Amino acid sequence: MGRDFDSGAPGASNTGKATSSEADTGVYEKPAATKFTERLGSLADAYEMYKSEGRSLSVSFENDRLNEIRQGESYGISIRAVKQGKIGFSYSSKPDEIDHVAQSALRMAPWGKPYDYEFAAKANANQSRPYDPACGEISVERSVELCENVKDIIKSIDPEATTDVSIRGGLNSTRIATSRGQDCREDESGFGYFVSARISEEGNFLTVYRGRGSARVIADDEILEQARETGHEFKIARKLLPFSRGKYRVLFAPHAVADLLLPIVVGINGMNIARKTSRFVDSLGEELFDKRISLEDDPFHPDAPSGAQYDGEGVPAQKRPIIERGILKGFVHTLSTAQKCGHAPTGNGQRSVSSQPAPGLHSVIMAAGDTELDQMYRDAEGGLCVSQLLGTFTSNFLAGQVSGNVSLGFLVKDGQRAGRVKNCALNVNSFDVLKSQVVSVSKQREWVGGEYLPWLLVDGIGISAR
Amino acid sequence: MKEQLIDLARKSGADFCEIRIEDSTQTSINFQGPELENVQESHMYGGNVRVAVNGTWGFVTFNNPDELPRRISEAVRNARAASARSTVRSVLAPVEPVQAEVRLDLKSDPREVSLDEKIRLFGGYNQRMLDTPGITSTNVRYFDKLSSIRYANSEGTWIARECADMGMGASALAKKNGTTARGSAAQGGRDDFELFRGMDAEMDKAAKAAIEAADAPVVEGGTYTVVCDPNLAGVFVHEAFGHLSEGDNVAEDPRMQEVLKLGRRFGEDYLNIYDTGLDVGLRGYLPYDDEGVPTEKTWLIRDGVLVGRLHSRETAGRMNEKPTGNARALSYKFPPIPRMRNTCIANGPHGKFEDLIKDIKLGIYAIDSAGGQTNGELFTFTAGQAFMIRNGKLAERIRDVTLGGNVFDTLRNITGVAGDYNVHDSSGGCGKAGQMPLPVSHGSPHIKIKDVVIGGR
Repeated sequence: MGRDFDSGAPGASNTGKATSSEADTGVYEKPAATKFTERLGSLADAYEMYKSEGRSLSVSFENDRLNEIRQGESYGISIRAVKQGKIGFSYSSKPDEIDHVAQSALRMAPWGKPYDYEFAAKANANQSRPYDPACGEISVERSVELCENVKDIIKSIDPEATTDVSIRGGLNSTRIATSRGQDCREDESGFGYFVSARISEEGNFLTVYRGRGSARVIADDEILEQARETGHEFKIARKLLPFSRGKYRVLFAPHAVADLLLPIVVGINGMNIARKTSRFVDSLGEELFDKRISLEDDPFHPDAPSGAQYDGEGVPAQKRPIIERGILKGFVHTLSTAQKCGHAPTGNGQRSVSSQPAPGLHSVIMAAGDTELDQMYRDAEGGLCVSQLLGTFTSNFLAGQVSGNVSLGFLVKDGQRAGRVKNCALNVNSFDVLKSQVVSVSKQREWVGGEYLPWLLVDGIGISAR
Repeated sequence: MKEQLIDLARKSGADFCEIRIEDSTQTSINFQGPELENVQESHMYGGNVRVAVNGTWGFVTFNNPDELPRRISEAVRNARAASARSTVRSVLAPVEPVQAEVRLDLKSDPREVSLDEKIRLFGGYNQRMLDTPGITSTNVRYFDKLSSIRYANSEGTWIARECADMGMGASALAKKNGTTARGSAAQGGRDDFELFRGMDAEMDKAAKAAIEAADAPVVEGGTYTVVCDPNLAGVFVHEAFGHLSEGDNVAEDPRMQEVLKLGRRFGEDYLNIYDTGLDVGLRGYLPYDDEGVPTEKTWLIRDGVLVGRLHSRETAGRMNEKPTGNARALSYKFPPIPRMRNTCIANGPHGKFEDLIKDIKLGIYAIDSAGGQTNGELFTFTAGQAFMIRNGKLAERIRDVTLGGNVFDTLRNITGVAGDYNVHDSSGGCGKAGQMPLPVSHGSPHIKIKDVVIGGR
């Protein structure tokens, strides 16, 4: 018992992503017909089963040399079972434990959260995402060679740099089935790279890095180009420039823009809306930010490392505006938070197989601006370019605060990064900055994790420094 | 299982082979606002094989133990294929093989407390904060995890280790004039569920801190003399010096070896820093590390001078130093890397808190931690609560206090170390190389640091 739901392996099918139970025919048996779901259906008032199975391979260079080949297999199954109006949850990573997981979920139910919403009903996905089986066929030898080439490029720009490089790829298969007839399966592919140049010398510890993920294998040319960019930025950053505290015009690079957006990401989270801890609770439709600020959640973007056809509860994901020309347009919800707020579900239940769903964005796409990056450097004359911030995750995001050490920042001179500034920190209110201090937004954008972001030029940023 | 695993490891054909099999159960409870958001029982089962071939590691994880022989072959095949280009040899510092069984030794067993009672206890704390006028929301989390880990390697080491880990974190949110502020309380440990009882006063303090902070001004950015309480000073030593002391930062970097040369002075004579796995009951307690090496108390700074660092067998071997029992893995899904255990500043000669602040005209008293991060040279961490110090006395509460600085300057700028050492565990943990949250502890007396950069308006 239980093996019916447990059948199949990641990458077993190259047909791409199934979009509904109908489309699954021939790959999996319909769980509604399996013995296990029949039995669980007779024991629980409602249920949801989530299974995830994956494999991955990574090649990593550390300290200029090949360090590790890591191969991972992962398996997990979790069940939410409802008994007498309450939800019990249990998880196991041990194969063949589906019965145990079901029993445990039912045992936990009397103490669980009230079942005051309903698990996902049968529904088809709105759109497909790319699936690249080549992500599961990463060659160790070829990846080692690529890492060597990355190292050689960075060393050719600055022989004193120490390089770390990693290449990773993998396939994952998830399946969610509910007692309301939803039965969705997704085959997901993932590829990523990380390139860094660093030096630790007296008075100047420096790390410059680049990297991104994708649902498709990324071409060697892009990785090698990013190695060149990393090397050039590293070279500039080795020159230290004097700097004093004050208010500056600051060009935030995409990595730092991601930090500036964190208070919005937290503020639109359905959990904080339901708990009324967000300042956005009553602000839908209000113009809260500069008109040039537009954000959308796009689960289907072809180049995004994250995203899904269905969220972690089996609800079809949606491409939705969050901020449109400065106006707050939407929150992100699980089925539970949507119910609490009286909103429609948004397909944003994010989870791993071992955890219950929580609201979260798929991929944040920020609209490009109309200013060339070169022009923005010229406009930032005498100010700073902030590439990376350190420790911002400890900020009080609900209050809009973003604070952290400037771990990689540059003084802008003659329209370019002239050298690195150190030992300085910033503490801004992001809500204020994004409302009234934006000077320009770049035409160019870059991926930072699951976010596709431009550069932002901002006025009046207070920088503390020794 | 013992003989079988050692035999498989010895016959792998690699320079070195180790096998880990882990079986853990975890109970988690989470209240958010008035609701019991999550009650969960989890079973984590899996294992890994790690082999070294010509200086390259092959690491494979699995969930099905029947596949172990195949996984060993895959790990060796991967490492061998990759190491064809390697000119480096595998180096592991020698240790005596260990045969040990470590049984649970609990003062109070969380498994003997019913789920019902745990929910009443932590739900009571949650409700107490919610009932405080001015508190708009709360979050209370608790977990207990019981693990059984079997470890074998090709040198004949076999360790069967049972361990427990428990933690709780509580936070209260207050909102005033659009400003949200947080107060928090925490507890943690490895051997005593009773630690989690009788925490009403701590819940009251968390709620009061949130309410007062929502009404407090944001700190004015600048450079201040800062007095850190033992908890924040512990986070400081963890972030600012502990990570720097981890051997993988140094072992293959000649420049770092110059920067972190043993014998170099880092602070005044009264600065003493150590990391220990020997404090039974703390979350940083560790009888053997995840390479089977017995742990110890490792001095890092004595009388202001660098005397040691935290090693795995590989980093110790590459530096021709002694392993210190600091190779740790978050779970079977990760390889062991140099990590901290309980990292501490030892007591100093400067009396009590009052003695540290009496000469400060304008400064900040920073209490508790909302987390921190370092990149080796620079660090940032945020205080859970903070007050101004004016003319040698505690003054008004301030909020959103983030301390940043240069590790080396800041260690030199420690101008006072009190004699009131304290260590207090929480439910959080340390993150490194994707392995988070690893259970660690940190302790310190109150310390005084001059010229700390405070990010502010």
